[in-house]
Amino acid sequence: MSIRQIIDWAIEDSRSQMTGTIVSPFYEYSDYGGHWVWACDVDLGENLGVLRCVPVAANNRELIYAEQGRAVTLSRLNNGKWVITGLAKSLNSTVHYIFMSFTDDTYQVLRKQLRGYIIRPLTYGELGTLVVPYGYGVLPYGAQGKFDAEGNFLEIVETY
Amino acid sequence: MRNISAALENIILGGGTRRPDYKVYAWDPAEATISEVVSANGILDDPAPVDLTPYVSDVSWSDRQLTFALVDPAGLFHPDFGELRHCLKDGAILRLLEGDETVPEVDWAITFTGQVHGQIGWKQSRSTGQITSRLTVFGRGETQAYKRRKITSQEYTVGTDIGIALYDICKTFLGLTGKEMRIPFTLGRQFKHKTNQLAQVTPWDGVCSLLKVVCYQPFFDGEGKLSYVNKSLHRPAARLFEDGDRIKELEVPECSQDTVNKVTVTFLDSQLERVDGPYQKLGQAQVTTGFFSMHETLETWWSEDRKQRADGTSMKVIKSVNSGILPVGSEHYTQLDEFHGQIEVEISVWVPILATVMIAEYLAAAFIPDDVIVLGFGASEGITIPVGRIIQAQAMIGILLIMMSIGSAQYEVWGTPYDFAYLEKKSVAVEDGLDYWLENNLDIKNDFIGTHDQADIIAMTELSWQKCLSMPRKVSVADDPRLEVGDIIGLPDGRKLVISALSKNIKRGEIPTLLIEGCKVLTA
Repeated sequence: MSIRQIIDWAIEDSRSQMTGTIVSPFYEYSDYGGHWVWACDVDLGENLGVLRCVPVAANNRELIYAEQGRAVTLSRLNNGKWVITGLAKSLNSTVHYIFMSFTDDTYQVLRKQLRGYIIRPLTYGELGTLVVPYGYGVLPYGAQGKFDAEGNFLEIVETY
Repeated sequence: MRNISAALENIILGGGTRRPDYKVYAWDPAEATISEVVSANGILDDPAPVDLTPYVSDVSWSDRQLTFALVDPAGLFHPDFGELRHCLKDGAILRLLEGDETVPEVDWAITFTGQVHGQIGWKQSRSTGQITSRLTVFGRGETQAYKRRKITSQEYTVGTDIGIALYDICKTFLGLTGKEMRIPFTLGRQFKHKTNQLAQVTPWDGVCSLLKVVCYQPFFDGEGKLSYVNKSLHRPAARLFEDGDRIKELEVPECSQDTVNKVTVTFLDSQLERVDGPYQKLGQAQVTTGFFSMHETLETWWSEDRKQRADGTSMKVIKSVNSGILPVGSEHYTQLDEFHGQIEVEISVWVPILATVMIAEYLAAAFIPDDVIVLGFGASEGITIPVGRIIQAQAMIGILLIMMSIGSAQYEVWGTPYDFAYLEKKSVAVEDGLDYWLENNLDIKNDFIGTHDQADIIAMTELSWQKCLSMPRKVSVADDPRLEVGDIIGLPDGRKLVISALSKNIKRGEIPTLLIEGCKVLTA
């Protein structure tokens, strides 16, 4: 652990805004104070993963319409919790990875890779073909799937 | 590498006896600006500078600042009453020239240009009789005005070369003229986004972020001109120190810091991309219609603010106009544009005609005289059926049937909503085989980068640059005024160093020892 790392963490911790993508339908849940609030799951990108039960900030007139796949901005409250505060114009997307190796005096680029994923509802066709050989009926309509940057299916996403 | 005159270069490289000399000139900031001093060819002579050289000793030079002692027995530079105090007051412009006694001064190299910040130090002691003054002059890159105030630039459209924007910003917010810049006017990279603007950043950060697109790092050179260090180290050494050259000292300093081993370049893709939402109800409409209306047009928008786009829309009829007793019309849906559609309800022509005819018939039948039909033989009592009322009742039934077909219809429009968004993309250069808990990441966020190709190059260049920075070296050599920050020098063992800082102590008649701080160059 270096001072630089500690500073990086501090900078990361002090971030007060992020963008994410809605990856679930909206639902109601009871927060710590026992209040029923509207919330959804938000995908924060490759490294941060999916943040569950993110409430929609109250009295936000900007947020008129948001469904799955929409980019939203998240703001951090004083107590450290994140809330959805508006619609974002940018959307987290795919990441190019370039793997390099370094020796004493030289470096080289070993390979490049496209990473990233999207979460979306499974199509009718996918509902029928993903769970071989059972076909339709195993996966409920509306089940969410996670797909890599090339569009290959990765996994079913658990939803609340 | 600094350009110097052929005469001075011959003296430095010729191997003959060198007689180094220097000159320090100062300008009163009330009479000349630093821009005028830097833009002039050679030394600005109108207004003429004050030659401080006779008073200067113990000169310490670095690429960022110049420090020297002033020998001032006559109190010429006393900040309150010195005769020449104006040429050392806050903002005074100073230049250092280095050369050789055997070369005319016009051929000397200008190795430092800077300004006094604040007040100079001046001390007179009764007990020792000493009058001492110490002065530090800072290079143009240390000007805090470049790094504190926030600016907002004008907008630059797609296709504008980044160099053009850079020149514009330097001219507008740094007060530089074309003569004060050594950066090419065109950098070969164009803006990819529709509109590009610096907003609420310091001028220096703005210049840095523009130059980051081409992997350059700005700095002010010895002449006070804006120059750059190219972080891409694929270039030949500016100077090779052969075996015969005297390298006085080579040091590998300790560097006890974790190295940056991952660089993440985040940028906004220049292309708007379509992002689909799930298939869902987009809008609804309802209407009450019947014989009184031939045609109803219902508009449905996909959102209240009328900004939501959608595709593949279709109408679901929740309750039809034909759900009454009689089928009275037809319903059609058309998507007009990406934001809204139109539902048209057509009432069949016969409905109002029939209603009109029936009312007319009802009225006409009222004029029919009632013929009474008496049933029974010779009976004085029985039932009567007025024939005219039967006809009227038939017309009334027709009217009522049509009225009963009046109803409210309900429709929903379903489809796939979508929107256009600029995708935030990333290029990550990372050491191969690195576990994520060992990552020491450097984040670069720059929206002037518009494509993955550009971002990939920046990520790779920055990672190799950071790796170089983690391998610092110090080399002491006989002074070579040609060397500048960013130059690459070759060592006798074949390795190369990129110069990150330079410093030396200058004395008359003595070849200074140049301390080169640099980093080992990694080759691809």
